[in-house]
Amino acid sequence: MSSSIIELRNVSKTYSTAAGDFTALINVNMNILAGEFLGIVGKSGAGKSTLLNMINGVDQLTSGEVIVRADNENISIHTMSEDARASWRGKKMGVVYQSFQLLPMLTLIDNITLPMDLSDNYKPRESKERAMQLLQLMELEEHAYKLPAFISGGQQQRVAIARALANDPPILVADEPTGSLDSITADHIFEVFEHLITDQGKTIVMVTHDVGLVSRFSRSLTIADGELLSEAVPDTKLNQGRKK
Amino acid sequence: MRPRWRKVLHDLIDNKARTLLVVLSIAVGVFSIGVISGAYQIISNDMSVSYAANHPANVELRMANYNTDVLTSIHNAQGIGEAEGRRVNNFRVRAQGSDQWVALDVVALESFSKNQVNLLAPVSGAVEAGKDEILLEKDALKKLNATVGENLTLELSDGTLKELKLVGIVQDVSTGAGDFLAPPFAYIVMKTLPTLRQPELFNRAYVTVAEGQDDIANIREVGTALKDRLDKNGTAVSRTRFSETHKHPLADTVNAILGILLALGILIVFLSSSLIANTLSALLSQHLRHIGVIKLVGGRNKQVFAMYLTLIMAFGVLALLIAVPLGGQGAYGLALFIANKLRFNLLGYRIVPMALMIQVAVGLLVPLVAGLAPVISGSRITVLRALSGDLAGDENKPQAGKPDRLPWFDYMLVRVTRILAMRGIHIPRPFIISLRNTFRRRGRLMLTLFTLTMGGAIFIAVFNVRVTLHDYIGAIGSYFRADVTVDFDKTYRLSEVQKFGLQVDGVERVEAWQFIGTELLYPDGAVADNLNMLAPPANSKLVNPIIVAGRWIRADDVRKFAVSEAILNFFPDLKPGDSMYLKIKGRTEVWEVIGIFKFVGREGILAYTPFEYSSQVLNLTNRSSSYRFVTTQHDRATQDLMAERLDHFFRGAGFKVRQAESGLASLDTASESLDTLVVFLLIMAILTAIVGAMGLTGTMGMNVLERTREIGIMRAIGADDRAVMRTVIAEGFVIGAMSFGLAIILSIPFTYLLSTIVSLAVFETPIDVVFTYMGYAIWFGLILVLSVVASILPARNAARLTIREVLAYE
Repeated sequence: MSSSIIELRNVSKTYSTAAGDFTALINVNMNILAGEFLGIVGKSGAGKSTLLNMINGVDQLTSGEVIVRADNENISIHTMSEDARASWRGKKMGVVYQSFQLLPMLTLIDNITLPMDLSDNYKPRESKERAMQLLQLMELEEHAYKLPAFISGGQQQRVAIARALANDPPILVADEPTGSLDSITADHIFEVFEHLITDQGKTIVMVTHDVGLVSRFSRSLTIADGELLSEAVPDTKLNQGRKK
Repeated sequence: MRPRWRKVLHDLIDNKARTLLVVLSIAVGVFSIGVISGAYQIISNDMSVSYAANHPANVELRMANYNTDVLTSIHNAQGIGEAEGRRVNNFRVRAQGSDQWVALDVVALESFSKNQVNLLAPVSGAVEAGKDEILLEKDALKKLNATVGENLTLELSDGTLKELKLVGIVQDVSTGAGDFLAPPFAYIVMKTLPTLRQPELFNRAYVTVAEGQDDIANIREVGTALKDRLDKNGTAVSRTRFSETHKHPLADTVNAILGILLALGILIVFLSSSLIANTLSALLSQHLRHIGVIKLVGGRNKQVFAMYLTLIMAFGVLALLIAVPLGGQGAYGLALFIANKLRFNLLGYRIVPMALMIQVAVGLLVPLVAGLAPVISGSRITVLRALSGDLAGDENKPQAGKPDRLPWFDYMLVRVTRILAMRGIHIPRPFIISLRNTFRRRGRLMLTLFTLTMGGAIFIAVFNVRVTLHDYIGAIGSYFRADVTVDFDKTYRLSEVQKFGLQVDGVERVEAWQFIGTELLYPDGAVADNLNMLAPPANSKLVNPIIVAGRWIRADDVRKFAVSEAILNFFPDLKPGDSMYLKIKGRTEVWEVIGIFKFVGREGILAYTPFEYSSQVLNLTNRSSSYRFVTTQHDRATQDLMAERLDHFFRGAGFKVRQAESGLASLDTASESLDTLVVFLLIMAILTAIVGAMGLTGTMGMNVLERTREIGIMRAIGADDRAVMRTVIAEGFVIGAMSFGLAIILSIPFTYLLSTIVSLAVFETPIDVVFTYMGYAIWFGLILVLSVVASILPARNAARLTIREVLAYE
């Protein structure tokens, strides 16, 4: 049995708006195991993106705790300052969004090199070599010096994944990464994720509204109205591999 | 290059319009401050160096005729360094083939080679004039179209014409320095004087002191002692002038004017900094997503801060590349212009290190300071807010915890439009949207309004200052209301001059005026200053004084005088009824001050006493050498024609005419000098207006960019290109109109401030402010055009966007 890499304890999130307070998450407790491909599934407004933003530290929780155990460190990430969290995230957790969030003025290789440049984990020459390896992994090496606007949406999402892997983080979180892609391209993205789990031992947490994708995860949690409702562990290729 | 710096480079070059706007905003301020500070440095150094290099006299004495024995005694007097005698006579001079007479002061030197004081610098041709030859001061060429080698015709007082050969052009930066109204000079050798029927005697002495040449107290002391000694020995001194060797007589005035320009330059920097702050704040808003991404992938606050700080520094460096060379050229150009106007030389083109340092400091620090707040807040933003673009929203958006009601402006707008609609007046809906848009980003609106309002207020104030100065010159003209003044070389009976004068067509009236050259004394007998006392008939209508205290002269006044307020510089507590010591014709007398009137301080102290009494003082009953003529028409052209006609007529009748001058001639010269100053002020005002216009263009561009989605929605529900453009242009128009209203208010204190500073610098007295509709009208037209032009480009960009593009903008 794998150990828990991320643990959420009584996580709640309430937003104050002009229309009144709105609770997006209610006492969420969960464990994410190292090396699993966890899917969080729910309808629009269910609280799945909020939950993901609690896990990656992009948003501040109202109460509760998120503990990340990566690289022999045991960190309650919301006790860190926003600035320290950004630096931590750059090294320990890759983030992928539906809208890719690539910097449009930088070439693909520069977009991937950027996290390494900011974290100073790699020397400039090494970071370039690593970025090229990641592009090769994503089968995009021939587009290395193109701007994001000159490649397709699926290719942009693969660049975003490559960027998320730049500092070799143990965890990847992805918010609807296939939401704006056609089914063939989305399938290709899933293949990349499965490869990262099986070959590189990464832990991936992915949010989606598409219940049809449940079978692709090693485990899935259903969320509605800010509460976790059910858990499913399908008999997938990934789980078969894990059982062996 | 590391990716983060590559991003900075792209931010700099990808959006060229925005980079240009920021760079130009900085460059305008750097340029203005560079021009003024550079010119200030060049002038303050070169003015004194150039002036001192010509060995200027410390004491200038205007005297009765004297010979070389007196000159030797001056030379031998205590504390005297060099002394040079000269003879100065005013002649009308004509170039070959021209019928245009020009009045010149012809200066006769004993020897050109022994010239030691007020040195002449060669310009072209010979540096010395022999017998019956003449040299021209280079400024004379502006009025006299003559070339070296030709003969100049001089008209003597009896009408005889004499020709002298022009052998060279020289420059004399010392003689007449400080006197805006001094006629141009020409130089001859004393041996030529008999040709011009003048005695070979001196009437001026130019003296330097042996020690303390930059100590005005010492110069005054030595000069006063010399004057007393000459008076005692029977050589009457009518006027003395003291000046330091290393200080040009107009240095204080020039410094004061440059001070005003510097203040405006600093204001431009200040305004451009608000424009920079506006643009950088918008840039940071537009870059929120980028900042969010950088932080998402591990970027820390200080890294984001460093990136945007570098971007700002790059803007500053680009601005310096443009503004420093232009500012250097502009500084030298301005210095050269002033030097030419005031007749001194510059030491050559150079970059002034101090001005360069000021420019570099302004170019780097101003954007840094202006951009610091937006960069700090931008770098501290949370990833979530950055990625959601939360800050790009408007300031009217309902906030959590705030009462659930419409913002005040929207509430007022709804109320007003409803009230108007009930009365059948329907404001077009797009215009209401424009109005609301104007007030969305209130911080940005304030900064834009601030720059536009300041630009407008200064622009309007400069026009008011111009009219104020001209009005004052006009008021000064009320002391010289004669259409033509004819001075003779000897005195004539009033009845005789009247008899002849009234025969000339167009002459209505003739008045005899007298002049008493006096000195104002301190109670201990030391000379305070010269006092030019004019003596018109007490009932003369040709003087219309602006009385500050006391009264004007009366026919029965004896030993009484009205005096200009410049006297207060020497006797600050003086009031009507006080007694003053005056030195008249070598005698010390006690006169009573009956009134104080307003007049230009720079030309010294002016006083009036009635002709009826001056006739007794001068022992010239009903006689004078100076006559004022009133003609039927009073315009400059008629005056010039009448001056020519009277000159010709009196000479023909055997009178010894020295000169005939139209009343407006000197006033026009003074007005021209003031116009030059006004042009500089206007240039600064236009620069502030440019900064304001750039601010508005930037604001409109940013507003449109931030509302791209909204424009898309408008287009999706049927707004055509014209409707979109109209909404944007109306918004620019509303901002322009608001700034105009504010500029009207702010222009009032600005007018008072500028007028007071300029009048104190130029006239040495505060003057009454006059307002003109001209500046308001021009600025109103200009602001309308500017606001529409500033909105057209963003409006066109908005209209060109397709619905798909704008809705996909996020």
